[in-house]
Amino acid sequence: MDTQQKLQQAFSDALGIPPEKVIDGLTYNTIPEWDSTAHMVLIAELENVFDVMLDTDDIIDMSSVAQAKLILQKYDVSFA
Amino acid sequence: MLSNKPVNHFSLSAYQVELLPMTQAHQGLLRSWRNQDEIRRQMLSDEPISEEQQQAWFKKTQLDPKQLHWVIKFRDQFIGATNVKSLENGNTVEQTSLLEPGLYIGERRYQGNIIAFAPTLAMYDFCFDQLGTKRFRAVVKRSNQNALSYNQKLGYAIVDDEELMVLELDVESYRQATAPIKQFLSRTRNAK
Repeated sequence: MDTQQKLQQAFSDALGIPPEKVIDGLTYNTIPEWDSTAHMVLIAELENVFDVMLDTDDIIDMSSVAQAKLILQKYDVSFA
Repeated sequence: MLSNKPVNHFSLSAYQVELLPMTQAHQGLLRSWRNQDEIRRQMLSDEPISEEQQQAWFKKTQLDPKQLHWVIKFRDQFIGATNVKSLENGNTVEQTSLLEPGLYIGERRYQGNIIAFAPTLAMYDFCFDQLGTKRFRAVVKRSNQNALSYNQKLGYAIVDDEELMVLELDVESYRQATAPIKQFLSRTRNAK
């Protein structure tokens, strides 16, 4: 599984949505499944899958799938 | 009874935000937020307010010991306002055991963002820990599902399920419900 697929699976597992719904344009608080509680589950899932610990600024800024990729790249996770 | 000087002298800083006592200088910004359609619609009094009304409101409010108002600062920008009001007759905010909270995030990019919890957490911590508040009571329009969901995530329980819904929160429920979100909003910098 490449990093893109891992990311998709992590979002899918944390938010309880099908992997095909995990697209770059998916945004926090625009679907009922991605609320503040799910956001915390998502952060924990991403940290577990990619073995990173996100800082608070990044938790606040992680407002879309596209943004999640940009932020994870700061932690040496590559989506090439 | 009104005080002869501004009553809010509490500056709070926690969970990445600062709460600064509301002053005259903030009134233009507050009125522009307050009159946004989407904010106004959720208010119990939803008419647009004039500059004169805003000034009259502030003149009285800043001297009223039954309420405290703050502006919220995040990343060097004012993003909203928050307040508490005493719900006990004759008791000031510092004397009462029961407070009603108020919050709006005026900056659109932070509406619905997880940072919207930060000012509430900072204010509730202060009230429970410093002022000795025992309970909060929130009144929310049934149509305001975002506010209902937000309050329930803070640990509020519904006590009156009418068109205007009444929710209450005690310190134990608050601490239990907010422990995870506090942990996420209190981290130090780790990114490379």
